[in-house]
Amino acid sequence: MRRIGDDKTFALAVLIAALLIVGALLGPLVWPLGPLDMDFGAPLAAPSFAHPMGTDSNGRDVFARFLTGARISLAVGAIVVLAGLVVGGAIGVAAGIGGRVVDTILMRLIDALAAFPPLILAMAVTVGLGVGLKTAAIGIALSSVPFFARLMRGDILRIRTLPFVEASVAMGAKRGRIIARHLLPHTAPTMLVQCASVFGYAILTLAGLGFIGLGAQIPEPEWGAMITDGMQYALTGQWWLALFPGLGVLLAVIAANLLADRLEESLNPRSARNQVR
Amino acid sequence: MLRLISGRIVTSLISLVGASLIAFVLLRLTPGDPARLFLGQFAGEDAVQALRAELGLNGSILSQYWIYMGRFLSGDWGFSYSTGQSVAGLLLARFPATVELGLFAFFFAFVAAVSCALVSVYRRGPVSDGGVRALSFFAQGVPPFWFGLMMLLVFFEGFGWLPGPEGRLGLRIIPPPTVTGLLTVDSLLAGDWTAFKDAIRHLILPAVTLGLMPFGFLYRLLRANLEGITREPFITVARGRGLTRWAAYVRHALPNAFLPTLTAAGLLFGQLLAGSVLVERVFVWPGAGALVTDGVLKQDFSVVQAFILLSAFIYVLTSLVVDILAAMLDPRVAQSQGGGR
Repeated sequence: MRRIGDDKTFALAVLIAALLIVGALLGPLVWPLGPLDMDFGAPLAAPSFAHPMGTDSNGRDVFARFLTGARISLAVGAIVVLAGLVVGGAIGVAAGIGGRVVDTILMRLIDALAAFPPLILAMAVTVGLGVGLKTAAIGIALSSVPFFARLMRGDILRIRTLPFVEASVAMGAKRGRIIARHLLPHTAPTMLVQCASVFGYAILTLAGLGFIGLGAQIPEPEWGAMITDGMQYALTGQWWLALFPGLGVLLAVIAANLLADRLEESLNPRSARNQVR
Repeated sequence: MLRLISGRIVTSLISLVGASLIAFVLLRLTPGDPARLFLGQFAGEDAVQALRAELGLNGSILSQYWIYMGRFLSGDWGFSYSTGQSVAGLLLARFPATVELGLFAFFFAFVAAVSCALVSVYRRGPVSDGGVRALSFFAQGVPPFWFGLMMLLVFFEGFGWLPGPEGRLGLRIIPPPTVTGLLTVDSLLAGDWTAFKDAIRHLILPAVTLGLMPFGFLYRLLRANLEGITREPFITVARGRGLTRWAAYVRHALPNAFLPTLTAAGLLFGQLLAGSVLVERVFVWPGAGALVTDGVLKQDFSVVQAFILLSAFIYVLTSLVVDILAAMLDPRVAQSQGGGR
């Protein structure tokens, strides 16, 4: 069995992730230009030493916007994973131990959520609650709930029939204790993999919503909205506007998926990966 | 078998009811009075009230849902304020373009995934395997709209090999008479080679862009299945009968690896449907997805809302059909599902 850290792909994923995280946390503090500072003297300037990623039509520095965009994407990714894990996980646990009626009701609810292609469900939420970055995050989180809930339920159903859990029940342990001490810890490996995978999904979907105008709105330095803004200039020669934010999304999602893959291989060597999306 | 099918139909119906409830609640949460939006701010209060009554907006929530669903199922999907046309008419007119693009995208994804999976399992070398693996990670991580834009930058702007974002046909090409609505088929039926070639040239970039994510997904699925199946005894038997390794893989392992792919076809369909919203706008493709993005830009959400519910219906129904097909093709599936429930 290969261990974490053995191969180059994994090292690459960690490196990308570390760069993006450091850039997102420290970049906006260190870089002198702000994401919304306009410089009308230098609109649509090509990448140079002063503007490593060029400037947009209002002379805003694309690198500064890229860094803030990383902050937005990673933050939304983290929020979505947290919310999806807590809500979806709770539903999954309740369905797994709650008995037949609870299980049926909860799983039909999950089926209804999963009846939409994930991106479309997120779209529906933003249309209903009003367009914006916050509602986009809520929509993406909601669309990730079925991923977590189904996986968690399956895990709980599997683990709760294992001998050590039954022994604990037989010894009179309380339900809360069994869940906290015996069931949840054993779902950690699958949940960890799912978290990494959903993190990538969230970043990709956020960019998609921003691109079609249902997420962050255009002056906001969000990667998807930046690509929309850059689209009209891409074919007139100002390729840097759309190129860099897209690369950001690509790198972030690939890093997340590589981590998910590698974790899966090391933590659950035997399970066939339960694919999201 | 019958029990399995009827059970599957019931669960599909339940999830559709649930999905339509979600769509309905979200629709009601949308700020603004639909009647007021429709009539404009200068209309009198009487007219607004009359329209509210006509639209069934005054009844209880339950009766409103009932009316909403009745209308949806009878094909009355509302009215688009920005274009002055019915949503159903608009979507229907745009559908052939989306279907044609989706078919080509699926074709690309399927062929590419099968060949990549075969190559990486057959030639287990670090180069072929690693290269294809990297490609699949790229396919699943790249934002499709951005990839499309970059493709345009390279192949249209850079080399000038392929047409730019101008829709399904060049400006100088006369569209063939409409029979199926699919331009490639229609131009062939009309015997119009120029239009056919032009339609194909216009399809290449959008289809590859839209097919990229399904390709990554299919490849990973197929590859995992092939890996397992090539270790099965019947492959050894096939080799023992004197088949070459390649023949044993292609003729015996590959067909068996397809079944799990079939059950994932519903997911694939969802990817294509959602992807069309992201991709069509980049290529100014006159399909349903571009209609949705136009609706968002013009703050005319009636089209978006109809598309959302419609896609849930298409998505659930495809999964239903595919599951039943899988059960018919493979008795093991029928047994595991029928017995477990």
